[in-house]
Amino acid sequence: MNTAITRRATRGMRREWRLHVLAIFSLSVSFVCLAMALLVVTNIHALSERWQTTSQLTAYLKEGAPTDQVTELREALKKVAGVTSVEYVSSTEAHAEFSSKEAKAQDDARNELLALPVEAFPASLEIRLDADITRESLTGLVRQLGQFPVVLEVETYERWTERLAALVSKGVLASGFFSVIVLLSVLAIVGSTIRLVLHRRKNEVEVLRLIGATDSFVKGPFLLEGGAQGAFSAALAIVIVGAIYLLARTRLHETIAPFFGIDIAFLPWPAVILIVVFGGIMGTVAANLGLRKLVTV
Amino acid sequence: MRAKSGESALQSDERGFRPLLRKGHRFARDAADRPILMFEEVYKSYRAGAPVLRGMDLVIERGEFVYITGASGAGKSTLLRLLYRAETVDEGRILFMGRDIARLTDTSVPFLRRNIGTVFQQFKLVETWSVYENVAIALEVLGLPQRLIRSRVGEALERVGLAGRGECLARVLSGGEQQRVAIARAIVGEPALLLADEPTGNLDPQLALDILGLFEEINESGTTVLFATHDRSLLDVRTRRVIVLDEGKALDVPLGPPSEGELLELPH
Ligand SMILES: Nc1ncnc2c1ncn2[C@@H]1O[C@H](COP(=O)(O)OP(=O)(O)OP(=O)(O)O)[C@@H](O)[C@H]1O
Ligand SMILES: [Mg+2]
Repeated sequence: MNTAITRRATRGMRREWRLHVLAIFSLSVSFVCLAMALLVVTNIHALSERWQTTSQLTAYLKEGAPTDQVTELREALKKVAGVTSVEYVSSTEAHAEFSSKEAKAQDDARNELLALPVEAFPASLEIRLDADITRESLTGLVRQLGQFPVVLEVETYERWTERLAALVSKGVLASGFFSVIVLLSVLAIVGSTIRLVLHRRKNEVEVLRLIGATDSFVKGPFLLEGGAQGAFSAALAIVIVGAIYLLARTRLHETIAPFFGIDIAFLPWPAVILIVVFGGIMGTVAANLGLRKLVTV
Repeated sequence: MRAKSGESALQSDERGFRPLLRKGHRFARDAADRPILMFEEVYKSYRAGAPVLRGMDLVIERGEFVYITGASGAGKSTLLRLLYRAETVDEGRILFMGRDIARLTDTSVPFLRRNIGTVFQQFKLVETWSVYENVAIALEVLGLPQRLIRSRVGEALERVGLAGRGECLARVLSGGEQQRVAIARAIVGEPALLLADEPTGNLDPQLALDILGLFEEINESGTTVLFATHDRSLLDVRTRRVIVLDEGKALDVPLGPPSEGELLELPH
């Protein structure tokens, strides 16, 4: 990169810093929306990934199921290929587990659940499966389990995975939507600031043409300034979202995380870099569009 | 050419405009003696029915100092603008170092301008830049290294009598000083041709003479100078070639001090 061009760009940005700061702040708003959407998407995606690989079944048992029949079922299950462990969770244990999780989350609304009697939590068999179990043997197993008289209901968690997948695709859609919004606002805001800056530096451009500056030499600083606006806005948005994340994390970890069994994660580094690069490129493109009216010869 | 031509603008325009003498080419021995500028039957009008130049012919040799004069609106500025391709001719040719300026592509126009220094009545400085920056930019477009730029800008400022003023902002300088900065910018790239369009128009008579002296010094070091003015007191300072623009043609006032009669005939 030509040092004269970068010097002119930094000098220009210093001189018109108010204009640039204003543009960066207004742009960062739409970048915040985009980053937020991406944050949600990555977390839901992580959740669905995790639930897909857990390969877990829960067979809820009827109230008052005879112990010998339950034991028999348990023994039978242990022999089925693909089943790695079967664990009996009684009503009392289920209640206790729920309470201990809830004790951490001091949420009044949930305390009502704690008031529920022990019987409200059915006993269950927690069945862990090989991670690579085929879909056919899984559905076969579920069908067979359903035929046992002691079994009330079989939870495969598949519904959840499907719902999460649907959520992920909705999130991706929302992110796409926000990307378009970001794109449009970058075009509008960077384009108009660059036009303004160009107007203020008409004199400079005229001098440059006079002394034989090439097209790229004249345009270079404006493109750099536009790119910097885009990249800085994206970076500022990341910082804002990061701050929100840090503030909300403790609370999220106490409330939501235990239920889903994952930690709420921040955007991965590659995504952060990608957003900033995307901002930079968009800013440059927008600046270039803003310079259309500049006649260089 | 000049002693420093190894670093000069002429050598750095790899892609676009080139002067007649190209490396590896054998030209006629008299190549260097050919006129630096030739106008052949040049027509130019901005509006239909109001031609400014009408079949103008003019030849200017290397190293000449030429006054261009004529009434207001005669086309002095137009003539200069055609040279640095701010305008194009309607008909005819302008050859600069043997190349037809009108036929240059837009991408090679900047390379033409690197061979032509320009000075204007309104100085055309970037007022928010320092004196140094205003001069250095002419070398920065050439992509020269900073070290070289520093020393050559220093020399140029010294030539125009502004040594040590490099850090000043252009806008705090007086008119005469600003014009010196503009001249330094015009000559720092060691152009073959220096165009001046009423460079003394905004200055008082004594300053005008000083600036004229500066152009003469520059001319003595080999640069061809076209000096457009309608200030007759400047024309009388020394015996110079004087071109009068009248009715769209260039009339050469013969060398030698102009007689009373000729001066009186100047269109007004
Ligand atoms: N961009 C333009 N558009 C239309 N007409 C123009 C333009 N530039 C110059 N003219 C006209 O062309 C004629 C020559 O103008 P020019 O500026 O070359 O004259 P000049 O000899 O430099 O005059 P002056 O001594 O006042 O500077 C004038 O009649 C002017 O009105
Ligand atoms: Mg004029």
